[in-house]
Amino acid sequence: MTVPVWFGGRSRAERMATLAALPLLLILVWTVIYPNVAVIMGSVGHWREFAESPSDVEALKNSIIIAVASVAASLAIGVPLAFLLTRFDFPGRTVLRAAALLPAALPPLVGVISFLFLYGDTGVITRVVQIALRLKDVPWHLNGIGAIIFIHAYTMYVYVYLFVSAGLERYEASLDEAAIGLGAGTLRRLTRVTLPLLTPAIAGSALLVFMSALGSFSAPYVFGGGVRVLSTQILNSKLNDAIGLAYVETTVLAISAVAGLLLFRWLEGKRAYVAAGKGGASRQPVRSRWARIGLATSAALIVLVLVLPHLMIVLVSFAKDGAWTTQVLPPEYTTHNYAGLFTENQLWTPIRNSIVMSLLATAGNVVFCVAGAYLIVTRKFSGRRLLEALVALPWAIPGTAIALGLLATFNKNDLSTGKVLLVGTFWILPLAYFVRDIPLVSQAVEGSLKQMDPSLEPAARGLGASWWMAVRRVVLPAARPGIVAGALLACVTAVGEFVASIVLYTHGNRPISIEILAQLRSYAFGTASAYSALLIGLVLIMALAARFAESRMQ
Amino acid sequence: MRLRRLAGGIVCAVAATMLGSCVHDNRTVLTVYSPHGIDLLKYYETEFEKAYPTIDVQWVDMGSQEVLDRIRGEAVNPQADVWFGAPSESFERAAKENLLQPYRPTWAADVPAEAHDAHDLWYGTYLTPEVIAYNGDAIPRDSAPQDWDDVLDPKWRGKVIIRDPIASGTMRAIFGAIIAKSVTETGSPQRGYDWLRRLDANTKEYVLNPTILYQKLKSREGLITLWDMPDVATMRDRVGIPIDYVIPRSGTPLLVDAIAIVRGTKHPREAKLYYEFVTSQHAQLEAARQFLRIPARTDIPTDSLPAWIQTAMKQIKPMPVDGALLAQHLNEWMRYWDAHIRKRG
Repeated sequence: MTVPVWFGGRSRAERMATLAALPLLLILVWTVIYPNVAVIMGSVGHWREFAESPSDVEALKNSIIIAVASVAASLAIGVPLAFLLTRFDFPGRTVLRAAALLPAALPPLVGVISFLFLYGDTGVITRVVQIALRLKDVPWHLNGIGAIIFIHAYTMYVYVYLFVSAGLERYEASLDEAAIGLGAGTLRRLTRVTLPLLTPAIAGSALLVFMSALGSFSAPYVFGGGVRVLSTQILNSKLNDAIGLAYVETTVLAISAVAGLLLFRWLEGKRAYVAAGKGGASRQPVRSRWARIGLATSAALIVLVLVLPHLMIVLVSFAKDGAWTTQVLPPEYTTHNYAGLFTENQLWTPIRNSIVMSLLATAGNVVFCVAGAYLIVTRKFSGRRLLEALVALPWAIPGTAIALGLLATFNKNDLSTGKVLLVGTFWILPLAYFVRDIPLVSQAVEGSLKQMDPSLEPAARGLGASWWMAVRRVVLPAARPGIVAGALLACVTAVGEFVASIVLYTHGNRPISIEILAQLRSYAFGTASAYSALLIGLVLIMALAARFAESRMQ
Repeated sequence: MRLRRLAGGIVCAVAATMLGSCVHDNRTVLTVYSPHGIDLLKYYETEFEKAYPTIDVQWVDMGSQEVLDRIRGEAVNPQADVWFGAPSESFERAAKENLLQPYRPTWAADVPAEAHDAHDLWYGTYLTPEVIAYNGDAIPRDSAPQDWDDVLDPKWRGKVIIRDPIASGTMRAIFGAIIAKSVTETGSPQRGYDWLRRLDANTKEYVLNPTILYQKLKSREGLITLWDMPDVATMRDRVGIPIDYVIPRSGTPLLVDAIAIVRGTKHPREAKLYYEFVTSQHAQLEAARQFLRIPARTDIPTDSLPAWIQTAMKQIKPMPVDGALLAQHLNEWMRYWDAHIRKRG
């Protein structure tokens, strides 16, 4: 029997792999490609409206300005911090290193709210500064593009910090020594050796920040004031019954994201240096007394700034609703806000929903992405590149765009067009979370599998192990660190997800983030904060559980 | 096989959380979408559940335009049973899109003709006058704007805060009334747009939800807004926020807040019970006394209403608004406003 070459390539193994990849490809086409095509189709005939609307043009401009400025701000904070913490030893270093990751434990909407409590017109810091300087008016207003970039810088510098620190840890110290030996000064060494070697880390993290900032929704939504950005404009158009225009805005947002992706990849490619270092750069203790004091003080200050949003959420979660008006800090405290969450059914539902939906989505992600990563890493077959590209695609599509796509696709039961009714049901949100997190989990699992010796699996088979046995005893153990890390990331993002949720939720499956918004609407800051604190707690518990699982595995 | 244990743990966790809350009760859940605010909704929930212990009322509080958007989006698979509250313009729109289920309440004869749909798709519950609200601590009553045009005075530049009109039925109704008046009187929306442009020039910010609106008025980030009388009065009397209101001299849109049953509701019987319950004479009186709403029913003796309603009704000069015109063009006007007027001043 001959099988056409386009279907599966030459050998039997290749054909098997293609066959195995088919269901994965089908799912991706159905849940990722098809929704985007539906959005693009829906946008036809409304592009003129978009081009002629000054507000839409402005929204596009603002989105790009905010994304670029967020990248600049995150680099300005993340790179120096990474250098400081990996290259120098000073009092307070360990504390600062732990605190540097704190913003990552703040789900998007929660971060925005805590900033409102801290730096808003009636916020604690704002009032303290106002009182200390005896100002008549508040010293600043937390709104507009500046405020959005401020929050982005706080939450997104972590990407840069993590990537660059990792780059520096692997950094080959002998290169520096060689440069010194050849007579290069500090500055020259930095610009000609260190920074070029860190290019992949910097470019990678900058891209991540760019994408997050471009699609960011909570900050502009809650206090953008008059600032229009594409992600909020989409919701506006939808509310105004102009769904066609919303589709155009969605398409434009997705195109901007993909364009950004290509641009960064191109920049990265221009300066690709490979240095597979063993690491080994040691930290230099800071010896000068004044430098030590200066560093320790700044470290303390930075830690304070980093930890304040979390503290504020916890503090307000104990504040009595309605009692906090013009005082600097809430005057009355109670545990009532928490008690309500666990005793009142209606208040408990969102918590249950978020946990169940994020676990379901994550379970789906693990099964799907392990299969995908296994094929991508260990097999050669036609369609491999396609699978690789599709698995990474949702990453380039902002959450609002994914949500609109699902809305356009899963809105009725119609088998002839491949549509299934999920909108308005419980399942639409787990699906949205699943789609959003495919790239995260895939990348993590692929990373682990790539470190496995490719000859191990064939060796096991050669020794007589069945395919399943080889997978179970060789492949899965190798993939474990990636599975755990990927599952953790997926769970954390899904449990606090807000952007897609606000488009797709129903009353029955409303997640915590939506309930926080509802509580804010009814003036219940204490309850909203209790939810937020609980969300932070969930994120930390998940992180600890993953840590624990990882350590048990080694 | 720690992985298996981990997976087992996850399965157990899912099962536990799902079960953990299945133990509650087997009452029928009735879902109500409403912008009427937590106080009023909670009150009716408690009272209704007392009267009908087998029904569990769950309400979702959101802007009326958001309600319309949700009901539209869920049309194939309705999640809500009752839509309680929103200006009749929003209900007109929903009726046009076939999103409502007809129901003729027992008191159908006791509402004015303009306060219900000809095919029983919706009925008026409250009459809601729009007012000019201001921070009463910062502005003495005499210097507050007394009429719509006074809000445009350059002295209020940067002092006006407006709830984002795209999501708010109240704001859409006010803007709509202004443009509709321009169309009826001049044949074109231009004069209305110009008016809104001047308002935009004075507007500091368009805010996400009523809570932020009240907060900003309280903290004097802005001093003046346009909003509806019951909500302003509720904030003043119940929450203690120093906002006061002026009923515009030249006349004000008197919105009809309405109620309807959502087409395709899975609990039509319970929906009707709730519908009747919140619109009974007793409930309307309580709404007037506790939540400062003006009942739409005409069979409630005037002297049993609180004194403030009786005075307010004398001051209010309803602004004539062409409902059909609004229903047809409001979306288009709002789109124009959003694209060409908002934040252009």
